[in-house]
Amino acid sequence: MGGGVAAVVFPDLIDEWTGLSEFGLGGEFVAAFIAAFVIGNLMMIMTALAGPWAKRKITAAFTDRIAVNRVGPYGLLIIPADAVRLLSKELIVPDGVDRPAWDLGPLIVASSALLGFAFIPFGSGVHLADPETGLIWVFAIASIASVGLVMCGYASNNKYSLLGGLRAVAQNVAYEIPLILTGISVVIFVGSLQMSEIVAAQSQELISIAGVSIPMWFAILNPFAFVLFLAANFAEIGRNPFDTPEAPTEIIAGYQTEYSSVYFVLIYLGEFLHIFLGAAIIATIFLGGPAGPVLPGIVWFLIKLWAVFLLTQWIRSAMPRFRIDQVLVFGWKLLLVGAFLNLILTAVIVGVIT
Amino acid sequence: MIGVLKSMAVTMKHALDGRTFTVEYPDEAPEVSPRFRGIHKFSQERCIWCRQCENVCPNDTIQIVMDDQRNGEAYDLHVGQCIYCRLCEEVCPVDAIILTQQFEFTGATKNDLVYNKEQLKNVPWYNDIDPLEVREPDRSVWIGEGEGEVDYQ
Amino acid sequence: MSVTEPLTDTETGELDYDAIFEILGDHIIDRESHVHTEAAVVRPDEVQSTLRILREDAGFDHLSCVVSQEYRDRFESVYYLKTYDDPTQEFGVVVPTSRDEPKSQTATGVYETAGWHEREAYDLVGIEYEGHPDLRRILLPESWMGHPLGLDYDQDRPQIVEYREHENPLEGHVEEGETMFINIGPHHPATHGVLHLRVVLDGEQVADLDPDLGYLHRCEEQCCQSGTYRHQIMPYPDRWDYASAGILNEWAYARTAENLADLDVPEYAQILRTMSAELCRICSHMLALGTFCLDIYGDFTAIFMYAMRDRERVQNILEELTGQRMMFNYFRLGGVVWDIPEPRQEFFDLVWDFLDELPAAIDEYHDLITTNEVFQTRTVNTGILEPDVAKQYGCTGPVARASGIDYDLRRDDPYGYYEELDWEVITEDGCDNYSRLLVRMQEVEESAKIIEQCIELLEEWPEDEREIQSNVPRTLKPDPDTETYRAVEGAKGELGIYIRSDGTDKPARFKIRSPCYHNLSVLPEIAEGEYVADMIASLGSLDIILGEVDR
Repeated sequence: MGGGVAAVVFPDLIDEWTGLSEFGLGGEFVAAFIAAFVIGNLMMIMTALAGPWAKRKITAAFTDRIAVNRVGPYGLLIIPADAVRLLSKELIVPDGVDRPAWDLGPLIVASSALLGFAFIPFGSGVHLADPETGLIWVFAIASIASVGLVMCGYASNNKYSLLGGLRAVAQNVAYEIPLILTGISVVIFVGSLQMSEIVAAQSQELISIAGVSIPMWFAILNPFAFVLFLAANFAEIGRNPFDTPEAPTEIIAGYQTEYSSVYFVLIYLGEFLHIFLGAAIIATIFLGGPAGPVLPGIVWFLIKLWAVFLLTQWIRSAMPRFRIDQVLVFGWKLLLVGAFLNLILTAVIVGVIT
Repeated sequence: MIGVLKSMAVTMKHALDGRTFTVEYPDEAPEVSPRFRGIHKFSQERCIWCRQCENVCPNDTIQIVMDDQRNGEAYDLHVGQCIYCRLCEEVCPVDAIILTQQFEFTGATKNDLVYNKEQLKNVPWYNDIDPLEVREPDRSVWIGEGEGEVDYQ
Repeated sequence: MSVTEPLTDTETGELDYDAIFEILGDHIIDRESHVHTEAAVVRPDEVQSTLRILREDAGFDHLSCVVSQEYRDRFESVYYLKTYDDPTQEFGVVVPTSRDEPKSQTATGVYETAGWHEREAYDLVGIEYEGHPDLRRILLPESWMGHPLGLDYDQDRPQIVEYREHENPLEGHVEEGETMFINIGPHHPATHGVLHLRVVLDGEQVADLDPDLGYLHRCEEQCCQSGTYRHQIMPYPDRWDYASAGILNEWAYARTAENLADLDVPEYAQILRTMSAELCRICSHMLALGTFCLDIYGDFTAIFMYAMRDRERVQNILEELTGQRMMFNYFRLGGVVWDIPEPRQEFFDLVWDFLDELPAAIDEYHDLITTNEVFQTRTVNTGILEPDVAKQYGCTGPVARASGIDYDLRRDDPYGYYEELDWEVITEDGCDNYSRLLVRMQEVEESAKIIEQCIELLEEWPEDEREIQSNVPRTLKPDPDTETYRAVEGAKGELGIYIRSDGTDKPARFKIRSPCYHNLSVLPEIAEGEYVADMIASLGSLDIILGEVDR
């Protein structure tokens, strides 16, 4: 296939709808800006508004509580209220922090995740950029977060932060490799790194049972890789049972201990964005992206995102946290081996078929 | 792995059955036991100023001032300092001080929580429960004399 | 075991005190008789040799309590010994020292648990223990002046702390080497209160650990010393182990005071006491289970809330019975204050409902926690507490029973109605965090069994024999200089009270032997060399309540 399929991306669509293309390069730039604005806001609404609210409601359901229901219908307005509360708090800058690293850390954590959505095909034409190296771009950008975490941890002048930062790095390095190796097994199937190609490859019919056509989603084709990828992804974004970098009962809040007010909001937002980015990657390369019957593609895509989010919360309710050495042992000795096995197996199968 | 799945099944079961055990507190007044010991209510009409409550109080919460005719002048009770042991109610021979079910009280400063006899008198019943009607205090049990002769000094 | 045999009277099975005094030989300068045991008076420089003989030749492997006090003419340290096999075998060692030079030999070489006891004695009373490896203040701040339980202590003297003592101790402090010093607490999500751990970390592992207590020191002993026996002391025990174990604490005081004043408790009241105490035990163990899982799972996860929900149900029952959810003030000397609330059947139904649903809840906990493989990898074989170490540090309760020490005062030194009921003492041999959790979970089931039998008895009890209190004088004035030390099985272990009377209606010395205090003292032994995450888990598994540690 070799890529290069002229996929229509979101800025081009906006070009068409608005007629901005007549204004040449400047028009294209404006169109791209509008597209990015739309996607950025979509993700912001989901992560900053719906995410925390849903998290509170879901956690409450698992723990037999009622949760937010006072401010606004179903307590929805508690999130803007909380945001205002957090933003209006004093930004405490502890003595001896290493600025500007301390200030940049939260920014990097939040922005790296947001940037990653540029390459995610949401369906219904909402796809900001579709380079041939799409998957690599996503992984690369998502990993920048590790740098942000180290900056937060190291610059905070706090021993708990330092421990948290170190744990975050050790863990991210350990799980980055299996994550990407498992992702590559999908690439071997598809033969392209382009996101639109990966989605297109999954739309084919795998098998048809009694008239119900089962699509060739890689989660169905290769469940082993799917589970590996899920585990590695949860570790990468620091969700239970791999939330050792934060580990509130051990190191208070890890790298975010010293942050307050806006910076705390940024880190909190960054975490949610990373959960959703992880979910978006999973949905794209394993769950067929925006594919699904009846409803428009973007709705299906968002459903898949929320399903993965729900899974993180479900696991959080029932899974103890691993110890840091156990996390690393699990990553290096089990997941890495599994990822390599999976890669070789996939290569062999693909080689035999073609 | 089976254990992990089992624990996830348990939490999902709880999430789906929709039952909650928390209470929407200010909207829903919680049930309290008739024996519950909340803030005090004081009746000046009943009180005979015997000062037994002041004596039995473990941490000097009750301050009584009387004139030389043994007429009560002040009955101050620091509801913030009180440990709600109910010994004052138990020792009172005339039910002049009782602990209501009322637990909702606030004060901006500690001093606001020093209640005088008027404030103590105006403490409302909680859910219209009058403790004297619902409790069955057995004072004969409480004021034992011990074995042997009772000496009336 | 075998060494203790010759000292017990073969016919009665009771301790043969004369034999013990014979072994001690020249060490004794006098004999004393306390209400619960005989005691030997020894010279302050012969403490170690005396205790070593008692430990090695007489089999007293449990230093239960160390009481220190000041008299008009002397200071005195009393070491109360027991055996783990049979806690009714008790013995006391009294060590008087002069008031001019209150120096006494330490017992730390013989019993490790004496370490913290003697620090407390030094801190509060002012006796100096020679040879103690680490004689610092333990409950009061380092900068405190004077010893508050001493007779000459001036309570009105202001505690002036000079500027140099307020200086930042880390000023100009540069850490060298491979380790990192870190303060865990006093405000930390996992210290279950205000506990401060001074930890030296080597990477992620704990190289050194030193608990710093006293943030919640509320002078409970002195509070009790200024209350009258009859009424004023009873509300305070609720506040030692305030995590709903109040009735168990009240029982400790009730047992000691009843022993001191020789009071009887009617059988019906004993059943009420037993039932309410076991309800408290369930409450307390549920909280322990919830918070332990909190330490391992992080965040307010489902288990914590489920445990709280079940605890809530017990608290509702206790509220119906006692009127309060945590600060019960239910016991009175010679009985209890309330009978079962009318209508009785309603109350019994409440309890029956709880008991009926408990097995399902316990199964759910097992599904949720103990069979979870990730949980097992976190807890099995972590935080190992060897039985020998546990005995050395005076560990009791679920912590000791999880190390295979079969020690439960409810069975071994019976009180209340336990003797008549059918239940078992739970022990586990794992010695690890996992076993400590298992022991607590099974003890909940045993407690439920006890409550069940009590309820059955209460339902059958004839109406005209429901005597809830014996006839007790309004003012209790035990004879001067009677001393007694009695213990009950609290939620966390052996909760003992020592009282010395001086002929007035208030105790002259009131000493609390807190099980949490001893269980916490073993934490450095458990945690050193472990990962910091396991140290937190071990702390959770010890189930300390700082209100009882600091008193």
